[in-house]
Amino acid sequence: MAMRPFSLQKRCHFIMKASRFLLQIHHTGCISSTVIPGVNRLDTQLCYGHVPRWLHCSSAFCKSKSDSTDLQEIIEHEIEKKTKSLVTHDELFERAARDAKSKANFNRVLDTFNKKDIRRRGHVEFIYAALKKMPEFGVERDITVYNKLLDVFPKEVFVPRNFIQRMFNHYPRQQECGVQVLEQMENYGIMPNMETKVLLVQIFGEKSHPMRKYQRIMYWFPKFKNLNPFPVPHELPQDPVDLSRFSLTRIANDLDAKITVYQLPSTHITEAGEEISHPHIVGIQSPEQRTLLAKHNPSRPVFVEGPFPLWLRKTCVHYYLLRADPIPPEEQIEEELEPELIGPEQSLFYPQCIDLDLKRDLGDDDSFDVDDVVEGAVYAMCMTGQGDQATLAQWISGLQENNPILGQVPTVFRLDSGFRELQKVEDIHHDSEQNQHSGAEEEHIIEEEVLHSQGMKR
Amino acid sequence: MALSGTVLKTSSIFRRRLFQPHITGPVSLHVRTVYERDYRRPGQAPDTRWPWQKIRFDFSKGVDGVKKHFGLLKAEFMERWTGPEGRPLVVHMLEQTRVLWEFRGPESLNQWVVTSDREIGGRSEAYVKLGRNNSTCMLYGSLCSAPPRDGETRYSGYCTMRSKQPRASFDRKKHFDWSSFNTLYLRIRGDGRPWMVNVSAETYFSHQRDDMYSYFLYTRGGPYWQDVKIPFSKFFLSSRGRVQDDQHPLWLDKVNTIGFTLGDKADGPFQLEIDFIAVCNDRAHTEEFAYELYKRNPEV
Repeated sequence: MAMRPFSLQKRCHFIMKASRFLLQIHHTGCISSTVIPGVNRLDTQLCYGHVPRWLHCSSAFCKSKSDSTDLQEIIEHEIEKKTKSLVTHDELFERAARDAKSKANFNRVLDTFNKKDIRRRGHVEFIYAALKKMPEFGVERDITVYNKLLDVFPKEVFVPRNFIQRMFNHYPRQQECGVQVLEQMENYGIMPNMETKVLLVQIFGEKSHPMRKYQRIMYWFPKFKNLNPFPVPHELPQDPVDLSRFSLTRIANDLDAKITVYQLPSTHITEAGEEISHPHIVGIQSPEQRTLLAKHNPSRPVFVEGPFPLWLRKTCVHYYLLRADPIPPEEQIEEELEPELIGPEQSLFYPQCIDLDLKRDLGDDDSFDVDDVVEGAVYAMCMTGQGDQATLAQWISGLQENNPILGQVPTVFRLDSGFRELQKVEDIHHDSEQNQHSGAEEEHIIEEEVLHSQGMKR
Repeated sequence: MALSGTVLKTSSIFRRRLFQPHITGPVSLHVRTVYERDYRRPGQAPDTRWPWQKIRFDFSKGVDGVKKHFGLLKAEFMERWTGPEGRPLVVHMLEQTRVLWEFRGPESLNQWVVTSDREIGGRSEAYVKLGRNNSTCMLYGSLCSAPPRDGETRYSGYCTMRSKQPRASFDRKKHFDWSSFNTLYLRIRGDGRPWMVNVSAETYFSHQRDDMYSYFLYTRGGPYWQDVKIPFSKFFLSSRGRVQDDQHPLWLDKVNTIGFTLGDKADGPFQLEIDFIAVCNDRAHTEEFAYELYKRNPEV
C-alpha cells in the first residue's frame, strides 16, 4: 500500500521526461503554431492520433481525456474566456452549487477546470476560490478533496532545478498558495497522508515551503491528536436522548451514576386537533448524591437551576441542576465515624481506619493554602428538550420515586433566560411567551416561585 | 541652451512637487519606538503625536504616583526583615506549593486584563466578574469568529484573560520565580470548551517579546470543579500564533505573565470559572522537556 504512490511517482517522472522531449520536437516542427488560437491548436494535437501527456497534467488526469464531450466543453470554455472577468472561478462554483452542494459537484468543478486549459492558466486564483468554497460544499474535512485540489497544480514546473532557484523563493505565489491549502487542512484538523506528500514533492520539490509546512504538520499533529482527556466525537449522536446520555455521563464524571430516561420524545394529537409534543427528559443521579439528598434538611428548599451551557465541539447543549444552598456553619453536623471502624473489634494488623499523619518529611505538605469555595451540593442533573417549569416538575416527580424526601422538601425553580439565542426554535417561542408575563428582563431570574411540593408535583 | 533650460525647469518642478508636502504640510514623523506594542489595524491612521503629548502632566496624578511608589519602596525594604519575598525563611525553603492568584474579592480582578478580538475589529466580547459568592473569577462573554472586513485579517475569534506584569517601585519590572516548582495547578470549572494556557517569560532580545509558551486546557463542563495539573515541561514555544520549529524549555526563573485564551471557532457564549491558580512541585514528574531538542532529520 505504501509502495504504490512511489511507483506512481516514478512512472510519472518517466512519462514527463518523454513528454518534454515531445514538446520540444513539436516546437521545432511548427513554430508558427504558437500564433494559432487555443482551439485550433488542440485539434492539431488530436490529429497526431494520441494525446501526448503534457507537462502540466498529472497521471490521473491523463486517463480520461480524449472524450468528445470533454472537447466540446473545452471549446465552450475557450469561447467563454474571451469575456474575461475577475470572478470567473467563483462563478464556476456557483453554477455547480445550483443543483446541489455536494462532494461530487465540487469534484466536478475541479475536473472541469483541469480540462478547461491544458496549461492550467489561473490555477492559483482557482485554488483560492475553491478553498473559500469548501465549507459551503461540506468537503472541508475530506482529505481526498484536498489532494484533488493540490492535483490542480501543474507538476514539475515549480520544482527548482539549480542552486540559484533553490536559494531564492522559487515561484513564490504558487508556493504560498500550496501553503494556504495545507493551512486550511491544519485549521480543520485534517492530517495529510502519503498522497499529499507525493503530490507536494511532484509539484514543489523536496525542500519547498509547502513541503516544510507538511513536515511541521506531521510533526505536531500526532503529538496533539489524543491530548483531550474528555474526547468528543466529530459526529455527535443525532438522537436527542443519546446526546443527553453522552453529555450527562461526561459532566457527571462518576461511573456509578445511573441515567434514567424519564420521558421519551413523542407527539400526539388530541381530540381537539391540537398537537402536543412531549420533550425528552433524561436525568442522572449517583448513589452518593442520593444519600446526600436523603440527609437534606427538609425545612430548607432545594433549587432547580438552569439552563447551563455545555459545549461539545461546535454544538451547545443545556442542562439543569437540582441543588441546595450551602449549609450555614451553625447547622453543619460533624460527621461521626462509624463505630465499627474505630471500635475494639478492629483487626490490629489490618485496621480499616488509621489516624496517623504519614508525612514523609518536614516540608512535604502538598496542600494548597486557599479557602474552599462554599457551594451547595448537587443532587441530580437533567437534560430536557424544553426547559420550562412544567417539564422540570415532571423530572422532579420522577426523581421522587427514588428519593422520597423530595415529597417533603419545597422546590424552587430558578430558571433564567440568559442563553436564549442558542435554544431551539420552540424554546425561543416558549421564552417569548414567558417574557410577556414577566416583562422583558434578560439575565434575571424570571421565575421564582416557591411551590410546596405536594401542590405542583402531583 | 533652450533644451537645458527646459530640463532645468522640469527638474525644478519635480523637485517642488516632491518636496511640497514636506514644506507646506505639518511635519509628520512616524515615531515608532522599539517598545511600541499596540497593534495597528489595517487602514487605521498612525499615531503621529509626539511622545510628550501622550503623557498626562497632572498634579494629582503625580501625588498619587509618589505615594504609590514610595509605599512600594518601603514595603520592599521592610519585607527583607521577615525573609525573602516577605515570607519567613522556613516557609521559603520548605514550600512545595504556592498559590499565585486566588480570587477572593473585587481587588483580585485588578491584576488581570481581559481582551477580545474587538481590538482587531472582530465581534467577540469578553468580560470578567466575580462568581456567585464573590470568591471565584468568572470569565464570560461570547465568541464570534467572523473575521473583520478590512481585507487583510483572515482569522478572528479569540477572547483572552492575561495577568498584568508585576511591577516593583518606580515601575521596575518584577518577575515570578517559579524555578522550584514544575507543575501548574488550576482549579477551574468550564463549559466543555478547550482553552489555552499561555505563559510568557522574560526574553533577552526585544524581538523575542512575542514568544509565548502554551499548552491546552481542556474543560469537562458541568457543575463540578476540576483540578488541572499541567507540567511546565509540556509547554511549547510559539510566537505570534505559530508553533516554532526549534523548541526550548520554559525558563521558570523570570516569568512575566500567564494568560488564558479561547479560540475554538465555536460561535456562542462561553464561561470559565477560576477558583485559584497555583504552582506546585510534583515529585513524580521528572520530565524536563516533552519535545525533541536534538537536530531532527529532516530538519523542520
